[in-house]
Amino acid sequence: MARFLMRSVISTLVTMLIVSALVFTLLEVSGRDVTVQILGVFATPEQKESLRKQLGLDQPGFVRYIDWLVGNDWRLRDELGNVQTVFNEISQEPEWYVLLDDGRFVRHEVCSRVEDIDSGFCQPGEMLYLVRNEDASFFRENAGDVWTTDPETGESVFWGVDIGNRAAKWVEGGGDTAFVSTQTGVQELTGAAVQWIPLRKGLLRGDAGVSLKTTRPVSKTLPIRIRNSAILAGLAFIVVMPLALFLGILTGINEGSFFDRFTSVTSLALTATPEFVTGVLLILVVGIYWSNNWLPGLVEAGFLPDWALESFKVPTTTLADSPNAIFEKPKELILPVLTLTAVELGYIVRMTRASMVEVMAAPYIRTAIIKGMPFRRVVFRHAVRNALLAPITIIMLHINYLVGGLVVVEVIFGFQGLGKFIFDHSIFGDPNAVEAAAMVTVLIAIVTRLLGDLAYTFLNPRIRYA
Amino acid sequence: MTKEEKQMKEQMYEVHPQIPNAFSAFKEGRISRREFIRFATLLGMSAALATACSTPEVVEEAAETVQEVAEEAEEMVEEVVEDAEEMVEEAMGGPARGGTLTIGAQLQLIDHPARLSWIEGANVVRQVAEYLTFTDPDNITTPFLLESWEANEDVSEWTLNIRQGIMFNNGDEMTADDVMFNFSQWLDPEVGSSMLGLLSYLDGMNSVEKTGDYQIKLTLTSPNIGVPEHLFHYPAAIMHRSFEGDFIQQPIGTGPFTLEEFSDGERAVLKRREGYWQMGEDGESLPYLDEVIYVSIDRDASVAGMQSGQVDSLYAPRPADFLALKDNPDMVVNSASTAQTLILRVRVDQGAPWDDARVRNALRKIQNREKILALAWFSEGDLGTDAHVAPVHPAYDPREPDAYDPEGARALLEEWAADTGNSLPIQATIVTKNDAGEQEYAEALKEDSADTGFEFDLDITEASGYWERWDQVPLGITAWTHRPLDTMVLPLAYIGDSDGVPVPWNETRWVDEEFSAILKDAEATLDVSARREKIGQLMDIFSSRGPIGVAFFKKVWGLHTSRVHNMPAHPTSYDLLNETWVDPA
Repeated sequence: MARFLMRSVISTLVTMLIVSALVFTLLEVSGRDVTVQILGVFATPEQKESLRKQLGLDQPGFVRYIDWLVGNDWRLRDELGNVQTVFNEISQEPEWYVLLDDGRFVRHEVCSRVEDIDSGFCQPGEMLYLVRNEDASFFRENAGDVWTTDPETGESVFWGVDIGNRAAKWVEGGGDTAFVSTQTGVQELTGAAVQWIPLRKGLLRGDAGVSLKTTRPVSKTLPIRIRNSAILAGLAFIVVMPLALFLGILTGINEGSFFDRFTSVTSLALTATPEFVTGVLLILVVGIYWSNNWLPGLVEAGFLPDWALESFKVPTTTLADSPNAIFEKPKELILPVLTLTAVELGYIVRMTRASMVEVMAAPYIRTAIIKGMPFRRVVFRHAVRNALLAPITIIMLHINYLVGGLVVVEVIFGFQGLGKFIFDHSIFGDPNAVEAAAMVTVLIAIVTRLLGDLAYTFLNPRIRYA
Repeated sequence: MTKEEKQMKEQMYEVHPQIPNAFSAFKEGRISRREFIRFATLLGMSAALATACSTPEVVEEAAETVQEVAEEAEEMVEEVVEDAEEMVEEAMGGPARGGTLTIGAQLQLIDHPARLSWIEGANVVRQVAEYLTFTDPDNITTPFLLESWEANEDVSEWTLNIRQGIMFNNGDEMTADDVMFNFSQWLDPEVGSSMLGLLSYLDGMNSVEKTGDYQIKLTLTSPNIGVPEHLFHYPAAIMHRSFEGDFIQQPIGTGPFTLEEFSDGERAVLKRREGYWQMGEDGESLPYLDEVIYVSIDRDASVAGMQSGQVDSLYAPRPADFLALKDNPDMVVNSASTAQTLILRVRVDQGAPWDDARVRNALRKIQNREKILALAWFSEGDLGTDAHVAPVHPAYDPREPDAYDPEGARALLEEWAADTGNSLPIQATIVTKNDAGEQEYAEALKEDSADTGFEFDLDITEASGYWERWDQVPLGITAWTHRPLDTMVLPLAYIGDSDGVPVPWNETRWVDEEFSAILKDAEATLDVSARREKIGQLMDIFSSRGPIGVAFFKKVWGLHTSRVHNMPAHPTSYDLLNETWVDPA
């Protein structure tokens, strides 16, 4: 067993590596231009090129992939010096600084602000330190002559860390004119850096990177989505699975009865109806007709007490109007869970039923019945355990869908889940966010498969892993 | 309406068609007397007359000029004011304080307000930070954080007087330094604000001068009458002078709310602040609301949420949302006229048939305007007169839209065919997109062109399919957005550059010397009634030989639940919540 688990862990890591490379490649070849997403469709080619450079997208894909995986501060140490992250207590985000020998943390900027030049604080094009104070603010200080000569081009260059957490390469003299990304037209900026590489620690060192869409670290926005999705999936799972298995077994042993026919046809209909149809129908019938028309009518007619008017009302949307709204207003989850129940129930009932019917026709069941064993015992001891193998596979596969694949349901109900997160960021072309979310879904897929494998050994002792 | 009132309104209408509306608003108590006078004078009514119309005591000088009207007005206004006061008291006993307003809107990234490129984000910012000027739902611009503005004779120098005593939510008073700082941000290429393009008549900060603690002077490199409107462009929210570039970290503004929480793609929570400078009807500081929450959900989810009472309003309802909610007794529908429109346009540089004004006039005649408006925008709009100037524009010169006239069109086309030796019918393809009523417009044209000498095919694609070729197709329908001032869109699309080459967005390639000359003149005329004369000439040129047909201008909707009051619809979908209140729970 230990070897089995060991092997599982290793295969998990390998799978994640392959998936991450695959996702990265797919985003790369999809031809989605993230600069258009950021700057808008009316941006000029110069603006887009400039932003592309500032995002470090001019580096080859595999370099960016390696940066994403293991970071790039270690390979930029030669140019930058002792570069480190410092946690900013105010924004609750890590920031990159260079640690000088005298123990001060600094970033860099070229003297270009009008007030600095007017006051004689610095000459245009001189390099400035932005020295970090304890409270995460900074003051400017002239850095002096920090330039080094590039042996290849003979230019006087300097590598530093700019205020956007990027390694930036400046060329002395400010002779270089860069096009800065703006939405108004091409803007020229002298003294701009000529090359940028966004600094990062890499996923293996716990840094999932910064989302291009939100410009905030992925690690700040993703966990809350995972939590929301896990709660919704968990609730749906708790409602659907016992019900589906119960109905499946019951119809399976009563094959051909009215109950069997009725349940089979209903579950077929539910399975055949897409979730957006079910969801919208439930909103209309339960959320609007029931809550706004029928319920007040029933209360008025005296069939229901007055307090039912508020407590039996079903909300139509899941409003994330505070971070923990999902706990504060659990009633808002009724409709999403009902929708998922409708969609999932059919599959599992039908699968369980078919499997049950097959097992019940097996010779060993007949033998058990003939030898006089109580029917209940035949079903639960002998039939169910064998019949559950197939549904377990389906159930485990569906957990993954419940957590990450509910885009449509999430949009209909305004639910802040993982599916919509992945969808939005994929559409935007935001590799860091998509990669991190993909890693989570891969992990869930593998863990659920593992749980499925373990469940097989429990259900069927003949299956062993070594 | 009494006879005197009617007479007076007619007189006002002659000055500007919007004044009677403002007067009605004043009578109903929706705007103050002071505001009415400000509107009326901005629209060209003499100050004396406006005062006379709205004051019980007749001002002496006014009496001399408009003696009769003023005397009549005296009694009437008194009566009306009394009536209105009574009505308001009876109806609701004034606005209630407290409560939360929940609005559905998609929230994306906000960093520097000057860099905003989406209205939903600006709607969050505008509750915290405010603008120097204010363009109201009727499209009239007034000073806001400014006390007043003055322009010199040729509109090349603007003096902005800043209102005194306005406090930022960090306790500092707003002064000329803050405004100077904001100009420096807008004009800094590194910030990347779309204000930079708008303020192209400023030569960086060289053109902006602080002339007092509460005064700033702009020296324009070329005259422009749009300065007040530009200062209400949504990225122009005034930030505190210490602002460093991230609104989420430093939400310091003069507005009625403070930003409590912002979470991209999830929510924005705004809380009432104390000491806001505008006063409510009860004599206390605005706002009436305690809290405003923007939740980032899809419009469909917002519509569902409004029906279950979880959401109060949504950002920029689509026609489908309007149709879904308009008959619901628990919903309030407001609408605002805009200059948003669909332009039926031809290219005049590709020879026959569109190079001939008779053919273009025939095309204009086959527009069944009422029908097109009904099909394309559910009759929610104002009819157009084939000029790209909307009734909401301050200098709009009112005139009757031409009626549907297939015989007239036929006659024109026959004359053209006989003259030029071409044969009828003219075969043409109307190219357009299908997302904002264009398809219905095109179909109506096709239907109503039977037996007129036109024979249309339709080539209708989704939006991006049209935007790829919008300025290339010979005959098409293009959607144009709202711009508050009459002279703003015309130089973008209907003139040539100094060499006479059509400017980049001139999709028709139509360049007319007389038109360009009058337009140039109008662009330098600040006085609204003087400008109206010129705009009128432009409108005549449009309808007699212009390159476009304009059947209607769209209205936009504001939808909210009936517990919400005083939440007007705005032509650019801005949320104006200063005076909004909700029924106590």
